[in-house]
Amino acid sequence: MPQSQMQNILSTNNQQKISLRAKGKRKRAIKNFIEAMLYLSPALILFMAFVFIPLFRSFQISAHITDPIGRLAKFVGLLNYQRLFETPNFANSLKKTFLFILYTVPTSILVSLGLAVLGDLRLKGISFFRMVFSVTIAISGATASLMFKYIYHPTVGVNYLLSLVGISNIPWLVSQQTALMSVALTTVWLQIGMNTVLILAAMQTIPEELYESAMIDGASGWRRFIHITLPLLSSTFFFLLVVDMLAAFQTFTPIHIMTSGGPLESTNLLVYSIYREFYFNGKFGFAAAQSIMLFFIMLVLTSFQFVFVERKVYYE
Amino acid sequence: MSKKLFHFMGVLIIFAMILSACQPKAEVPVEEPVVEPPVVEEPVVEEEPMPTLAPPPEEEEVVMIDFWHSMGGDLGGIAIPQMANDFNASQSKCYVEPIFQGSYDDALNKLRASLQTQDVPAVMQLYDIGTRLMVDLQMITPVQEFIDKDNYDVSDLEPNVLAYYTADGKQASMPFNTSTPMLYYNKDMFAAAGLDPESPPRTFEEVWEAARVLTQYDDSGNVVVSGISMSIYGWFFEQYLAVSGGYYANNANGRDALATEATFNSPEGVAILEWWKGMWDEGLMGNYGRVNADVRTAFYAEQTAMFVDSTAVLRGAMDTVEGKFDIGTAYLPRPNEAAFDTSGTIIGGGSLWIISDSSPEEQACAWEFIKFQASPEQQAYWHTMSGYFPIRETAYDVPLAQEWREQYPQFKTAVDQLHIAPNNRVTQGGLIGVFPTARQTIEGAIEEVLADVATPQEALDKAAQIVTDAIEEYNISMGLVD
Repeated sequence: MPQSQMQNILSTNNQQKISLRAKGKRKRAIKNFIEAMLYLSPALILFMAFVFIPLFRSFQISAHITDPIGRLAKFVGLLNYQRLFETPNFANSLKKTFLFILYTVPTSILVSLGLAVLGDLRLKGISFFRMVFSVTIAISGATASLMFKYIYHPTVGVNYLLSLVGISNIPWLVSQQTALMSVALTTVWLQIGMNTVLILAAMQTIPEELYESAMIDGASGWRRFIHITLPLLSSTFFFLLVVDMLAAFQTFTPIHIMTSGGPLESTNLLVYSIYREFYFNGKFGFAAAQSIMLFFIMLVLTSFQFVFVERKVYYE
Repeated sequence: MSKKLFHFMGVLIIFAMILSACQPKAEVPVEEPVVEPPVVEEPVVEEEPMPTLAPPPEEEEVVMIDFWHSMGGDLGGIAIPQMANDFNASQSKCYVEPIFQGSYDDALNKLRASLQTQDVPAVMQLYDIGTRLMVDLQMITPVQEFIDKDNYDVSDLEPNVLAYYTADGKQASMPFNTSTPMLYYNKDMFAAAGLDPESPPRTFEEVWEAARVLTQYDDSGNVVVSGISMSIYGWFFEQYLAVSGGYYANNANGRDALATEATFNSPEGVAILEWWKGMWDEGLMGNYGRVNADVRTAFYAEQTAMFVDSTAVLRGAMDTVEGKFDIGTAYLPRPNEAAFDTSGTIIGGGSLWIISDSSPEEQACAWEFIKFQASPEQQAYWHTMSGYFPIRETAYDVPLAQEWREQYPQFKTAVDQLHIAPNNRVTQGGLIGVFPTARQTIEGAIEEVLADVATPQEALDKAAQIVTDAIEEYNISMGLVD
């Protein structure tokens, strides 16, 4: 047998072996994949049912006009999106939503930081104050909104107390200059409890040695706060920033209970406007188009935060 | 917190957000202040026992039906169960269970959702402005069919009330709770200001002048008592438009033919907002936003001398201020004296609908129930519990109603106002499928005018355009036009 033939046979043998091995690998890979899918299936099915299918449906509805029960009536392509940008309502809702975030998120984080610093003091009975600072966790958004609706009541609320000291009626919820601010105040109040607890918890995980060595180096209380406490809290701040911002984006309950989006659309935040168009005006397509826009805005915003803000965050 | 865990939580939260963003959610079914029908102040009832429903009968052949209603407070807690009990006791073939479904809007949304599940009530109470929508959705059996089959005599029923719920020449639903708005005023304040408490203002101009006299200031010039207050409520605008003789929509309010256009930006409509704005600019009106109940509270607290609200709140108002001051009632103000002869108020409130998805036996029971509730005795009871009008004349002769009229003579204004109104296309009110949207749009327009963002003409032109667009889209989506 000439050498070349030998080599040929050998090589084909080798090839066969290799291909056999590859086949085995592929088989195993498929098996692995199926097994993985089985493990994942509960999560996947839930995601399909509650995320992907509704998402797909939203896209579909947003390209139609519907009858008042939500049955698709006519395909209109991008008309609903075109209307979003032609009418001032969507721009107004976006603007008000960002304003609302601006009013609520930094305020509630700052106030909570202050309360957490107070709650971190080693005093007798401090746990009572910690409880007081965090008590709003136990209050639902609807309850808080109703409470504040009465506080803002033009006749019997805080206006009555103010009238006793000679301050005349403040139009808390009935003027477009003050309504958004009044609702924001409710939200800040409600948010403080959770924020304080999270900041306080993070503060208490900061190792004592850091403060001790800083004290030996002669750092004042303020410098210790600026150079040790704040940097070590940055991951908590980042977490709160993301969570509070997304929550503010979704604000619905206080608006629904206190203002219904008025006066003059001044509190018509995006999610409320979607609700209004969907349930109330029966414009399902238009509402779906708005939610798709909300989806993209939140996607962009969150990725932005993760890419840029996260770099400045110190993780332990 | 470790970085991984943090990422994981971040992703989790984003998914949660996406989820909720894509699915506009209904939260907390609270009372909807903007579009609620004439609100009924819960009347204070002396020690009236809570009626408990008799247990459902055991026999198989008894037809059980659900009755959805939107009456809160004592009306839903006492009056409605009492009336259902009376019906169940009056015969043995049907058994009605009343179920409170929240505000009219909530109830309508639930009905829309349940149409796909077949789990629907046989009879349902819904607000006046849902009439066109209910007819167009083709999920109801017009009561006309039962009236014809039964040879039911409707001659005793208030014609103006029946007319509102007539669509395409057929009685679509049976009126149940009906009311109109009127002017309430503080008689003591009238006397103190040198006005005659027995001759209240009748026209826009007279109301304006009275408001000037009634408004009181403190030493630094702040308003302590407003002359008049009205909540920013689309229903009031509809009523003012009707008493001015203006149409809400084209084709005679959508009653001669399908409405295709909103027409409330007419000179009549503009005049209403100019009047409103004039009093507002002079500082004669209190600012209570869109909430009717807050205006009433201000009146009870003697912070406003006059206000406009539904006749249905009379009993609650009388019971609340008892002994503090005297309440007077007057017709809803008209643009001029001549308008009293040519036009009138629209009937508001709600009616009872028979849902066609239920079986013929259930629908027959629903009709029996509706007939029973339209009887003079039931109407007299309902009328005295609330301040809603009885829907038939003979209910006024029931002793219960007579006693009530002696106790609350102010209610005569309401009845007279109903009876002086001619029955024509104006007083029958607009018949459009997007009424909730229209009402809300007009409320926005009023806010724009009061805030100096737009003139009355501009604001109404814009609102009319929005409503016209909504009507067009509605007509297309319902297959009413091509």
